[in-house]
Amino acid sequence: MEDLLREYLPIVIFLGLAIAIGLVFIFAALIIAVRNPDPEKVSAYECGFNAFDDSRMKFDVRFYLVSILFIIFDLEIAFLFPWAVAFKDVGLLGFWSMIVFLGVLTVGFAYEWKKGALEWE
Amino acid sequence: MESIIVILPLLVKMGIVVAVLLLLPLPLTWLERKIAAHIQQRPGPMRVGWHGLLQPLADAIKLLTKEDHIPMDADRLLFKMAPVVALVPPFVVFVAIPFGEPVQIFGSSYTLALSDMNVGLLFILAVSGIGVFGVILAGWASNSKYAVLGSLRSIAQMISYEIPMGFSVIGVVMLAGSMNLSDIVHAQDGLWNIVYQPIGFFVFFVAGLAEAQRIPFDLPEAEGDLGAGYHTEYSGIRFSLFMLAEYVVMVVLALLNALLFFGGWLGAPPFLPPALWLLLKTGFFIWVFMWFRFTFPRYRYDQLMSIGWKVLLPLSLLNILISGIFMF
Amino acid sequence: MDTDLIAASVRASSPEIIVIIGACAALMLSLWPHQDQQKYLTWLSLITILLASAQTLQLSPRPVNIVETTYSGMFVVDAFATYFKMLLYLGTALTILMSGKFLQTEEAVKGEYYVLLLFALAGTMIMVSGADLLIIYIGLELQALSIYVLTGFLKTRGRSVEAALKYVILGAFSSGILLYGLSLIYGLTGSTQLGVLNSALATADLSEPMLILATVFLLVGLLFKIGAVPFHMWVPDIYEGAPTPITAYLSVASKTAAFAVLLRVFMGSLIGLEPLWSSGLAAIAVATMALGSLVALVQDNIKRLLAYSSISHVGFLLLGIIAGTTSGMSAILLYLLIYTFMTLGLFAIVILLHRDVRAGEPLTLFSGLAQSHAGLAFMAMIFLFSLAGIPPTGGFFAKFYVLVALIDAGHVTLAVIAVLLSAVAAWFYLRLIMLIYIQPAEPTTGSTAAPATGPTGHARAAILLSAPMRLVLLFSFSGTVLSGIFPAWFLAMARQASLSGLGN
Repeated sequence: MEDLLREYLPIVIFLGLAIAIGLVFIFAALIIAVRNPDPEKVSAYECGFNAFDDSRMKFDVRFYLVSILFIIFDLEIAFLFPWAVAFKDVGLLGFWSMIVFLGVLTVGFAYEWKKGALEWE
Repeated sequence: MESIIVILPLLVKMGIVVAVLLLLPLPLTWLERKIAAHIQQRPGPMRVGWHGLLQPLADAIKLLTKEDHIPMDADRLLFKMAPVVALVPPFVVFVAIPFGEPVQIFGSSYTLALSDMNVGLLFILAVSGIGVFGVILAGWASNSKYAVLGSLRSIAQMISYEIPMGFSVIGVVMLAGSMNLSDIVHAQDGLWNIVYQPIGFFVFFVAGLAEAQRIPFDLPEAEGDLGAGYHTEYSGIRFSLFMLAEYVVMVVLALLNALLFFGGWLGAPPFLPPALWLLLKTGFFIWVFMWFRFTFPRYRYDQLMSIGWKVLLPLSLLNILISGIFMF
Repeated sequence: MDTDLIAASVRASSPEIIVIIGACAALMLSLWPHQDQQKYLTWLSLITILLASAQTLQLSPRPVNIVETTYSGMFVVDAFATYFKMLLYLGTALTILMSGKFLQTEEAVKGEYYVLLLFALAGTMIMVSGADLLIIYIGLELQALSIYVLTGFLKTRGRSVEAALKYVILGAFSSGILLYGLSLIYGLTGSTQLGVLNSALATADLSEPMLILATVFLLVGLLFKIGAVPFHMWVPDIYEGAPTPITAYLSVASKTAAFAVLLRVFMGSLIGLEPLWSSGLAAIAVATMALGSLVALVQDNIKRLLAYSSISHVGFLLLGIIAGTTSGMSAILLYLLIYTFMTLGLFAIVILLHRDVRAGEPLTLFSGLAQSHAGLAFMAMIFLFSLAGIPPTGGFFAKFYVLVALIDAGHVTLAVIAVLLSAVAAWFYLRLIMLIYIQPAEPTTGSTAAPATGPTGHARAAILLSAPMRLVLLFSFSGTVLSGIFPAWFLAMARQASLSGLGN
């Protein structure tokens, strides 16, 4: 318990500190900064034109694809970390098991590459 | 009473870290402008103070007093929260970074880290990943097409490069058999990891540049075509919080490069304290980042994505295979 | 250390590994377009299935009552699993054989089709070999996810995409229910392994509400997968919309694997809970048979009709579970084998008659078949007789043994109801036969372009019997007929397999 506290208490304190600093700056802005809004000034910025439509528009489906691929690969990284820490203990069998796993991953990767999921433009 | 003995040094350490982090951008911006100037054969800021040394201070005052501008139709709560969300993760990352061996002061031993946790590296990767949320919130809340597009690009870029980054440190963890950063540094006692892990270092360094959105990977902020990216609509203090976050991320990455691949505080010449030696290495990497900024052109977006997915990712997978084979 | 254990596990699961490697190889092969790609992919898939079946046979336990458990009790190789795996290989291989032509007419030749079928096969294999509810669930999901994509494989056809969407939503829903049941069972017994469940539930208090809830959830989840009333509503829509070979696969292989799970879980591990589920299941079985037979009477689309027909068959199969004896179980195993033959045969004929998806598959496709293609018409008649359960075809014996088991177990009323309802069901099969033999072909509306080729001048394009199609018809026809002539031999096989299924 003591060890756990020593390792993780600083995170909590520092997290609070960082948030506090951010908030202090934000509130400082309330006090120091000038505020002089006018309709032209605060309207959506679009190179001098009036905005045609809502800026929260539809966007390219590829962003979506990238995030799905990210989830898949990030999960693999999560699997790899404990393996890497125990690498000296898992032996040759452990090593090759992971390589087979990565091999299957690579098959999927080759598929998405060849199918053009990684192409932009 | 006993808890005070534990807490007090912790608070002192935190105070130092926070103070350094908050003040760091001042010399760094000055340095960046000076380096830019000298690379481009001009003097750079010269007017405010000796060789423009007080220029960052003037900038800071200007930013703090600038008009606080919130666009119409912006999601006000998210708009105000986003800079804080962007700032917190790079700050919290510092909890896990050790700066040297424990030191003896007045007979008791103090670690040079806020928390020398056993999952340090994982913690750093996980927490720095949260930084993406600040970008999403900023882009979404601003009600500006430039901000939305810029934030989408940023997100895609950051998550794409997080993968090679994660894979590239696997080799380091394999060598050290631990995710604790002190252990990783100790494991480099004989030879630095750069010797064992050249591919890993290359991938980590490049992915780091992209994570920090430094040139040549600063697409999201491409001034030419996107205004200023996800923080187009930000001004004043809120804008400076984003800037602060970016500089802190850069420092974190320079530190990680030094810790993971260049032996951390090991191998210091006898006249230097180890912690200072680590900071010197870090400074070197910061200088390299700045040097790159004024040397390389910017990549196109499709090039950027294909570097991440088609070059770095296969390389980092290969690195794991090679490291494994060599370790047997 | 436990390297030996790992090696034994890998060996026991080698058929699954072969199929997955084959699927990965097919995936890689599909990436480089080539004019003969489809042929190579077909061969690769078939060779994979052949290798896997050879390996399965080699691993098959001798003597049959040996149960080899690996992966720390999560995976079994016994005669039951072997029998079901062979059945799945048969179903998948025939589906692959009959797909080639269909994909060409629909211009949907894509390598992923074969890859997904192989992955679905791997999923069903894991289902039948799983001895742990979670492993079974994983196999089920692997199978289901592949089938979702295959259902929507004709991306440009609205019906196919609609079916896929419906299937995804309902499939996810039913998987959720199954998982709820699973987690409740885990909460009550502390284990998901079937063997442990068996002993833990043997002494359970049957009035425990949580236990009832868990059993109901588990049962409902599985009934969803086999399409029993009242969880049948997805079946007709999805059967109609899916590409026809996939419909065949759905009604054969998916259903077979789901029945394997149902048998293994309910007749093996949850047998102690029989008082909880048997009466409900009997009601469901009767309702399923009744609804399937009655609604099929008014269908005018051949795929919808076959969907309702498969629902009524499911009802019949459930009766075997209610019998609750070894002979009931072997009757189900035999039924599934014969059902595979006759259903795939009939679907192969539907594919041969199929022109394109826009025209749909109206019953009139069959009209006048006897005049233009006497051989095909004869085969269709045999398959339909078999589905109706008319002797001397295999379908008769399939139903017969279920009824015998039912009567032996003392459920005479149920047996009578089953006979009456299958008489109703026989009517719509006979209606199809009447279309084939008596009705002249109607010119399909708007198909003026189709040349009149039949001897009587009907608008039917010449049916090209490709070699794979001939193979499918040969297999399914001889299977249907032989199981009618030598039912004892097939039954002996099923009985051997069912002996080990109750063992765990």
